[in-house]
Amino acid sequence: MIENNTPATCENNLLVVENLSVIIRNSREKLIRNLHFSISQGEIFGLVGESGSGKSLTATVILGMISKSLEVTSGSVKLGQSEITSLSERELRNIRGKEIAYLSQNYQSFFTPFIKVGQQFIEIIRCHTDISRKEAKKVAIHWLNKVHLPAERVFNSFPDELSGGQLQRASIASAIMFQPRLIIADEPTTALDVLTGERILDLLSELKEELNCSILLISHDLKHIINRTQTVGVMYGGQIVEIGKTSAVLSNPIHPYTNLLLQSRLRLNKHIQHELPTMLGEPGSMAEEGCPFSKRCPSVMKSCSNIVPMSSLGSHHSAACHLMNAEREERYVTR
Amino acid sequence: MLTIIKNRVTQLVVVLFILSLFTFTLMKMAPGDPVLTILNADEMVVTEEDQAELRNKLGFDQPLYVQYGKWMFNLMQLDLGKSYMSGKPVIEELLTRIPITAELTFFAMTIMLCITVPLGVWSAIYVNKWPDQLSRILALIGASIPNFWLGLILIYLFAFKLGVLPSSGIGSYSQIILPAFTLGFTFAVVYARLLRAGLLQSLSEDYIYAARARGVKEWRILWLHAFRAAVLPVLTIFGLSLGSFLGGAVVVEILFSWPGLGSLAVDAIFNRDYPVIQGYILLTGVFVVLTNLLVDLSYYVIDPRMKRKEEAL
Repeated sequence: MIENNTPATCENNLLVVENLSVIIRNSREKLIRNLHFSISQGEIFGLVGESGSGKSLTATVILGMISKSLEVTSGSVKLGQSEITSLSERELRNIRGKEIAYLSQNYQSFFTPFIKVGQQFIEIIRCHTDISRKEAKKVAIHWLNKVHLPAERVFNSFPDELSGGQLQRASIASAIMFQPRLIIADEPTTALDVLTGERILDLLSELKEELNCSILLISHDLKHIINRTQTVGVMYGGQIVEIGKTSAVLSNPIHPYTNLLLQSRLRLNKHIQHELPTMLGEPGSMAEEGCPFSKRCPSVMKSCSNIVPMSSLGSHHSAACHLMNAEREERYVTR
Repeated sequence: MLTIIKNRVTQLVVVLFILSLFTFTLMKMAPGDPVLTILNADEMVVTEEDQAELRNKLGFDQPLYVQYGKWMFNLMQLDLGKSYMSGKPVIEELLTRIPITAELTFFAMTIMLCITVPLGVWSAIYVNKWPDQLSRILALIGASIPNFWLGLILIYLFAFKLGVLPSSGIGSYSQIILPAFTLGFTFAVVYARLLRAGLLQSLSEDYIYAARARGVKEWRILWLHAFRAAVLPVLTIFGLSLGSFLGGAVVVEILFSWPGLGSLAVDAIFNRDYPVIQGYILLTGVFVVLTNLLVDLSYYVIDPRMKRKEEAL
């Protein structure tokens, strides 16, 4: 029979998100529904989905920086042994930047524009350790060198005096200074050109190996997700609709949304059809009841307005779609 | 930075020239005849000859552009003429009054800062909570009541009813409190709203999110990362509303018998003492223009990006 739990619950889980739901306080609108995933030590976990699907909000919850107008109604976020959702502001501050590092999609607004980059490095270092400014500068220079930047010059520059790639490198340097256990990279390549973006991801992968940390890579760029991640979660309407080993999801996508996403790629080794398949409906429109994708799903069924549980398909792959059960039953019947 | 200052000073000269032209023309167009006022025509018999003689002495019988040229020539040597009433040089009259008004303005601005910054920051932190509502009501009050009325109420309360503060005069610090508060309050509460809006804007910037994600303490985020950008709009409006601030100073000076520039200007207006009025308007103009120059330059200090942008042009 079908099990109702997620796969890949390995022993060495670094981050475990269980049954997480977030709503807007005033309107009670659900932004994240029953989110369930885990990131194991040393892996790159990809979170993919269109704008407004709740990817960045998930990152915000993990950082414990959710705005006052939102409310976590249920669930837990565990980093190692600590439960993020119940930590005090002071405890969270010690984790942020130290245990969990954050890289933003907009490199230009990662550093505060009117403070020199070096001063911002010193600020971070001195927020987490008790060392003098002089020693802090040495640390900063060390890490700026580590990401192959002209350290002295970058240290004495204002953020807008650096190029996009340099800024993103500097932000990576600031993120890894304390050898965090988890790096949240929220679309780290969106604002960069293709080559610079690739180089940044190369650098991240390299550093990941060196520091033995995990990376939560949030992206809507499938090529990065496919090339870089070991595990992938596909989000739609605040819900993970499919999750699993990247290779498994890639070779056998279950959910129609995943399927359509993968089909919309341009591929060099494949003959291009006249038109790429497109997704129906308005981007971001989601159903209130049941499967959030049901409004746009090409294979929508009556049962789609019911809540869809996650069903696993092998030990490293699961999805939330009635189609999967229906097909199986069909298969059973035909057999 | 030097080129920027050079550009601004060039602009300043042009503005001052236009200002002098306006001051001069306005005074010439104003109703009433200073000659008659000086000769005290209301009380004494004044002959045509007397009038003509004085007109000739003051140069009023010459064409306007000649009068302006002479006036300008003297102005270049900081000679603003002599007061018709006291006979003393205008520049001397102004210089003796400046420190008195400066004292009032200084205390008013101190009080303004002491209200604006805490109230603005407080209401930005507690958006839509009671501190925010309080500052909203205060701003409404500050924007709607004229400061002469506020001054009267304060005199009634503190000088007349409670008898804790003097209602007029200068000399001691207790005498500064009421006029300085009257002048500062109405502006302070409005600026507090501006500061709040600026802070809310800058606190929602991506770099604030990133700074939080780096574990930076909340007070550092507020004062070092968010406050700078929030101050810019407040400074701009402050520079622009400086004129009405000085206008308010005139009213307050009269109300609290404060013998500063404002009192001098009002007396001069009643007596049609044109050189003094001209001197006052010019001085106020120069002050407003110079302050705005300082405000402009402060942008570059607060946000170094602007400096580099302008220098790149």
